Amino acid sequence: MTRDQLLQPLAELRGRSVVVTCMSITRPWGAYSSSELDFASADSAMGHTADFALGIALAQPQRKVICLNGDGSMLMTLGTLATVTAAGAANLVLFVIQNDTYEITGNQEIPAGGRIDFPMLARGAGFRRVFFFEDPDAYREALPEVLSGDGPVFVAVRVERGSEGPISRSAKERSQYLRVSLARSAHDLRKALAK
Amino acid sequence: MVTARSLLSELKARGVSHVVGLADNSSAALLSLLGNDDSVSFIAVTREGEAFALASGLWIGGKTAVVVVQNTGLLESGDGLRGTAQRMRIPLVCFITYRGYKGKPFRLAKTERGPWTIEDFSRADLDSAALVTEPTLKAWNVPFDFLESDADLAKVARAFSRAERESRPVALLITGDMI
Repeated sequence: MTRDQLLQPLAELRGRSVVVTCMSITRPWGAYSSSELDFASADSAMGHTADFALGIALAQPQRKVICLNGDGSMLMTLGTLATVTAAGAANLVLFVIQNDTYEITGNQEIPAGGRIDFPMLARGAGFRRVFFFEDPDAYREALPEVLSGDGPVFVAVRVERGSEGPISRSAKERSQYLRVSLARSAHDLRKALAK
Repeated sequence: MVTARSLLSELKARGVSHVVGLADNSSAALLSLLGNDDSVSFIAVTREGEAFALASGLWIGGKTAVVVVQNTGLLESGDGLRGTAQRMRIPLVCFITYRGYKGKPFRLAKTERGPWTIEDFSRADLDSAALVTEPTLKAWNVPFDFLESDADLAKVARAFSRAERESRPVALLITGDMI
């Protein structure tokens, strides 16, 4: 699956959901969305995107929170899978985008890349609704079901490798949410959620 | 000593909705109270670094969270604290239980000595977690104060005020086991 095949259907269906992106998917998502409810966790903490998104989800139970996490980032904090299910965030949809590499630093192989079974890990941590997609048509067809109903939901998606470079958070970035500081993004999202 | 019931009352007075953390001996009494209290939710994490990210997300979503971790967990949290609460400028009060503080050799050395030596880190009578707690907070520019007993609980309100006013994490070091 290409990243466009992953992101375009999601952009069409996300509605007023919060979308938290991580690392190499950040720029591509910015090409599809400029919503005030987008948050780029790129250039942030090592592997702490899913737990950050969980916090938003617990605070905003009436709103869907979609987290687009990387496989390398998920590996850094696998315990978060248990934290999510223990906290019972029914409105959290946690994607893990599998390309088997740390793409943003030059596509170095992640540990056990190609062998690690994220859906099995998610089930083992207590996720009840777990999906895996590598075929774009099957993904597009199933996405409405994925995004509806109670969660937490875990979605592993096998996506082709890209060549995104490091995130700079500067005027050189085309996506609005990468043209401001992380602090500004955080405070702006809080204001948007308070409306 | 700090009593868990008094601290919990103070948290409620500050409007805290969530406590995020990982249990240790010093905070056990507080977490036990939270287990029987419907007005403040306790979110358990698997590693302390998660607590700072999760609490940051809660604040963005409109809630008031505090973090409760041991000083060993603070050290584990490094990039979790730096990359979320600190870099996002989240007003977040963090309660850090201070393992090793009560040891007499540590307190003597703390007042009489300059920088720790590498020999200090391997001394059986010194807890190395205690040696690096305050230097770590200073290095990260996280303001901190001490909670030694209930007489210090007025510092909680001051920590919340400073965190809010300066939009930053502020730490309170709990120097003994809560009862």
